[in-house]
Formats: sequence, structure tokens, C-alpha cells
Amino acid sequence: MPLLSHIKSLLGLVLLATLLVGCDAGVPEPNLAPAKAKAAQCVEPTADMRKNHMVYLDVHRDKTVIEGIRTNKHSLNECINCHVVPTREDGSAVHYTDEKKDHFCASCHTYVGVKLDCFQCHADRPQIVENINYQHKLSSNTYHLSAQSVQPDMNDLLWLSQSQTQGATQ
Amino acid sequence: MSSKTMVYSELHASKVYYFILGICLALVVLGAFSFFHLEHEGHYVTGMNNQVVWGLPHVFAIFLIVAASGALNIASIGTVFRKGLYQPMGGLSALLAIALLLGGLAILVLDLGHADRLIIAMTYYNFKSIFAWNIILYNGFLALCILYIWTMQDRKMKVLYPYAGFFAFSWRLILTLGTGSIFGFLVSRAYYNSAMIAPLFIALSFALGLAVFIILLFFVYRLDKRELGDLVLNRLRYLLAIFVAAAMFLELARHLTALYIAQRHGVEQFILLEGGIYTLLFWIGQVLVGGLIPLSLIFCRALKNNHWSLLLASALVIVGGFAQLYVIIVGGQVYPLELFPNAEVQSSFFDGEIHAYAPSVWEWMLGLGGIGLALTIYFFGMVALRFLPRSLADTEVEAS
Amino acid sequence: MSQINAYRRKFMATLGGVAVGGLASSVILRTVQAGDVPAKPADQPVSNQVRWGMLIDVNRLTDGGASMVEACKREHGWGNDPKARPEQQAQWMRTVKVTDKLTKYSFTLPVMCQHCEEPPCVDVCPTGASMKRADGIVQVNKHICIGCRYCMMACPYKARSFVHESLTDQRPHSPRGIGTVESCNLCVHRVDQGQLPACVEAAPNAVIFGDLNDPNSRISQAMKALGGSQIRADLSLNTGVRYLGL
Repeated sequence: MPLLSHIKSLLGLVLLATLLVGCDAGVPEPNLAPAKAKAAQCVEPTADMRKNHMVYLDVHRDKTVIEGIRTNKHSLNECINCHVVPTREDGSAVHYTDEKKDHFCASCHTYVGVKLDCFQCHADRPQIVENINYQHKLSSNTYHLSAQSVQPDMNDLLWLSQSQTQGATQ
Repeated sequence: MSSKTMVYSELHASKVYYFILGICLALVVLGAFSFFHLEHEGHYVTGMNNQVVWGLPHVFAIFLIVAASGALNIASIGTVFRKGLYQPMGGLSALLAIALLLGGLAILVLDLGHADRLIIAMTYYNFKSIFAWNIILYNGFLALCILYIWTMQDRKMKVLYPYAGFFAFSWRLILTLGTGSIFGFLVSRAYYNSAMIAPLFIALSFALGLAVFIILLFFVYRLDKRELGDLVLNRLRYLLAIFVAAAMFLELARHLTALYIAQRHGVEQFILLEGGIYTLLFWIGQVLVGGLIPLSLIFCRALKNNHWSLLLASALVIVGGFAQLYVIIVGGQVYPLELFPNAEVQSSFFDGEIHAYAPSVWEWMLGLGGIGLALTIYFFGMVALRFLPRSLADTEVEAS
Repeated sequence: MSQINAYRRKFMATLGGVAVGGLASSVILRTVQAGDVPAKPADQPVSNQVRWGMLIDVNRLTDGGASMVEACKREHGWGNDPKARPEQQAQWMRTVKVTDKLTKYSFTLPVMCQHCEEPPCVDVCPTGASMKRADGIVQVNKHICIGCRYCMMACPYKARSFVHESLTDQRPHSPRGIGTVESCNLCVHRVDQGQLPACVEAAPNAVIFGDLNDPNSRISQAMKALGGSQIRADLSLNTGVRYLGL
């Protein structure tokens, strides 16, 4: 069976190569600073969140899309609003694909090598231009989610008047 | 079973064989490269757009899937209709069916916007969708083909052979109905919405599957220096003629129906007269190259027993069938949807315009990759298991 | 002509004679229209007692619906994908100019997802990603969309688009991304919070939004008095988006 032996040797070669590469690269250091920064204020206990955040998100996403339930507690948007800072100190945008790995979700997901595909569709950072009050303040120094839904009325009105003046000029 | 005297053996893995396998694998690599590019960049690198949403990859994929169900016919004729002459080729036919189907499905799946979510396609089913049914039909077809081959190759399973053959035959008819219905059930598109599409796809599958089978059979027997007699080839030759004629007949019926419906005049006029490349592909590709020339090659008395004319006819049937699928799939989308009857429409979303579609190199690579995969499986299968009758010379076939 | 005028008068009457123009009046408009979309508690699922619909008076749209399209773009952030070619750009909504071949009568109307009661896109979707909510809103559940584009083949209105490339910085309330199909979702995120869809707000004098199942809603009253035709009514899809003046 000349074919079989060819395949065997080829497989061996590939295995060896991956082993060598793996050893050489070593384990990269994770950047957990952004994750730890707000752990204490989360909607669920930290240990629970570490283990089950994807379950919460999964359950909530189906409720939202299919049933129209739009509570804030397990909403991905609210995770982002609270945990992700839209820009770095130098003004550059923070994205989950960035090399720096300082995006809240990416910092850990990259380390454990689990693919993140939420942000193919969802915004991966707060859109500050759209809503300046993107974080909900409980008091003057705590940034956390209130139980009430968002009231972006002022913004909306502003936007409506803009569109009307635009319509007038056209 | 009448093939008691028939001896089967593996294909000899010669240098030429490895060369061919290498070419096939190279095509697979091309396809894989294209897939990773599409997956990474997105579909903007292709010629497909929001008007022509299914393009060349789908033509390749549906060609292979349709041909797959047709390729199984040789086995079915032997088992279900008990024609002894076809029985020795049964295994080969089932192998080709599996190979072509996997090649076609690979293209279809790798062209998805989210090929990584294949598991979702397998776990979330909307049973009202003919597409979801097709997923079940394809998987079932693969399973039945494997079972069928098993009953042919294992003496202990031989008792199941006629049942496996019958089920595989019924299943393949339903499968092609399903594939045709993907288009036939589209109420919004004037060129598709017709009950004729499903039987047309069945006839087309008979013709395409057989044409592919003939070419590969001839080629493999040449490669392995085995004997292939006129008896077998002439049977296949006239069978091909019947299938090609049937496909042409159903296409004719489809167009005549449409020509009697005023709503469809626009799209028929486009395809038959004014459609540029699509009109050309229809008349030259589908009708002339895929229909009339092969039929004359087969029925020309001077070319009786001429292997090369049969091969040429098969090749032309394949080219014509490809052109036909291109006209159906792409041509049917290029013609705009009719939002308001008897009115001209205009918009920023290309309403009322003939849409443009030019396949990119990535789509060609993906399509060829699927063909490469199908051929790889086919050639590999023949070396791994005993599919090939040692000889299909006239004396052998008559004796059995 | 007198007929047209008559139904324009009726349409104005159903709107409640609200004056237009300027910020102040739009606030009044909001409070008046707030009754069209009663706010639903955030933790309650949508109900099948409601069916959302829209009535667009084509003759009252001074711009043929262009400002509605602009509002939709702004709300959902489509139309400027950096790498896609023009024919690959998403269009959730567009204005279509229709000219009758014989009479040459011409009008322009906005066309988007018509939110059919029997949506062909939902029937064909293999995974059930293309879905109709209990309240009649047709949308794509992008979490399970595999990007096969069969719904785009099936839609008679060409209402759906496919995202051809990777995107970043989407609108937080309107996720859209590579390899999935998308379309008008009647601004579900707004409707669920008791707000009007963005396009309706952009054309308050020509469009009524509301509950088709409630015979006393403004939209039902208006449709009862004036009718409301469907695009491609021959397909019997019973669309939720209706037009006056086609």
C-alpha cells in the first residue's frame, strides 16, 4: 500500500511541525486588567459570570429577538456599556480584534482561544456619539444599571428636529 | 443475482493514477483557498450581489447534486428494473453518486455566509422549508448509497440488496424533486415558479449523471487497461439519447406554458431573444451543444460503435447541462422582479433593470474545488474497494 | 382629481388635524402619536393580540419617501459599507419611481419589507432564522442565520440584503454583520419601547403606524375609511405595510 504509507508519513510530518511551533511560541500573557476592573459591580457574582456568562447571553438573546423582551439585566449592550471603554487614552478606538487585546471580552477570549462572534454583528464598544449617557448612573460615583429601561427621549427629540430642518432645506 | 461469474477488483494505483489524483487534490486545495478567502473577507470579493444572490458556485453545486442523483440510475436500472447488463456497474454508479453529491454539497456549504454555523443548519429545522427537507434528503441519500454499496460488497448483506436498491431509487427521485423545488416553489420569480421545474430537474439529472458516468467509466477502463465492450457502451449510448430528449421535451413544455401566461412574457422574451449572454447560452449552449448535437452524434449511423463520438456526445451533454443550469439559476435572477405590472420602475436598488453578474475567480475556484473533491473521492474509492468489474467485454457481459 | 382631494381631506381628518413644522409641534406630534404604540413593559413578551402595520399615503409624501429612507439609514446604519460595490450595498428601504407604461402616470413610493402575514421568506428559511414575531413583525434572527440567501430569492419585494463584508461600530440597537441577511424590522427596538419606527417619525404627515388588529386604532380607522392597497396583492400575502394612492 504505497498510498497509505505516503499519507502516514505526511501526517507525521504535520504533527511534528505543529508540535515544534507550539513549543516555540509559548503561552502569551493574558491582559485581565479590564476584566477585573468592574467585576464587583456585575449583575451576577463574579464566579458565576466567569462560568456562565455565555448562557445568560444566549438565553437573553432568544428572549429579546423572538419574544421582544428587552430587559437590561443580561443585555449584551449593557455589558458593553459598562465594561468597555470606547476609546483609549490616545483617542484610538477599542475593538475586540485589536492587537493590544485590551478589549474587555477579547482580553480573556484570546487567552483561552475561544472564538467570539458576537461582535460580527453587535457593536463591540459603546457608541458615544449616539448616546452620551450610555452608562446608567445609580449615584454620583457608581456606574451601574438601573432596573428601569432607557429613556433616550431628549436625544430622540433632538434628532427629530434635525431631520425636520433637513427636510425643510431640501 | 446474475453476475456470479463477474469478478471485481480494485483499480491499480499506477503512476498515472497518482498524477490524476494529484490534479484532483490540487483542485481541492484551490477550492479550500477560495473558501478561506471568502470566509475571511466576506462575499464582496465575489461577483454575487444583492440582486444576483446565487451565482456560479450554486451552478456548480446544483450541477453536481443533480448529476449525483442521476449517476445512481445505472445501479437502479440493474436492481429495480432487473436489467442484468447494468448490474456489474452498480457499485461504481453508487460510488460516483456519493462522490458527486459530496462535491456539490461542499460547494453549497462553503459558499454560505456563515459556513461555520453548519451545526445550526443541522440542529434547527424549519419543516416548511424545502431547503431544510433537502438537508435531510441529502444525508439520507448518502446513507442509502453507502448501505447499497454494502449490500453489493458483503455476501452477508446480500439479502438486503433489492430493498436497498429500491429505496435508493425512490429516494433519489424525491431528492431531485426536492432540488428542483428549491426553484419551483419561488412564487415571486417569474422564471422559476412552475411545477415543471421539478420533473425537468429529474430528466436533467438522468442525462447529466449518465453523461458523467460514461466519461469516467470509459476513462477508468482505459487507465487500467480493462476491456469495455460495445454492448455496454451502446446500451448507455441510447439511454443517454432518451434522457437528453426527455430533458429537452420538458424544457420545451416549460417555455410553452410560460409563453401562454402574459405575466411571463417579459422574462421569456429576455431569455429567448434579448438576454445577450443568457440567450446565447440558451440557444447555443443548452439547445444546440447540449441537445441537438449529442442526439445527432448518437443517432448518426456512420458513427455507430464509435466510442469517441459517444464520449464527445457525453461531454457536450455536460457542457449543455451546465449552460442550462446557468441560464436557469443566474438568468432567472438577472431579470428584475416585477413590483408593479404594466409599469416601469426605477430606484437606487436597481429595480426594473437587468442586473449584472460576472463571476469572480474565487467563485470559479470554489466550483472547481467541488469537482476536484468529487473526483478525488471517486478515484480514491476505486482503489480502496472492489468496484470495477475486471472486464466489461461483450463476451463477459453476455455470459453473466 | 376631486376624488383625490376628497380622500386627502379625509386623511387629514384622521390625522386629527395636527399642525406641522418646527420642534415644538413635533413634540405635540409625539404625544399625540404615542397612543399608536402603547409602551410594553420591558419584561413582557410581545403579544399576538397586536399586529403592527403602516399606512403610507403616497400623495402626501412630498419627497417620495426620501426622508424616510434617510431616517432608516441613520437609525440602522446601512448603506455605507466600505468595501461593498454599489450593487452589494444593503438597502433596507428605497424609493421606487413607478411610471405606468400606457398612461405614463407616475408616482414615487418607499418600498421596504412589507411584513406579510404569510411571508415567503419565513416559509423557505431552512433554520427558522427568517421569522415572524407574534406581533406580525418579520425579521431575521441573525443568531441562527447561516447566510444561504434563500429568503432573498423568495421575497417578492426585494426587501432583503446580504452583508458582504466585516463591519465595526454598528448601531448598538441594530446589530448587522458579515454573512447574514437583513431587512427592515419595523424598528423592533423602538416599537418594543413604545416608540414609532424611525421612518414613520420622519414623515409624520403621510404615514400612520399602529395596531391593525385593533379596530379603534388610528390606522384601522384610516384604512376603513380610505382603503390601503398592497404591492403585488395578487400573491395574497396580506401585507402589513399598506399604501394610499398607488
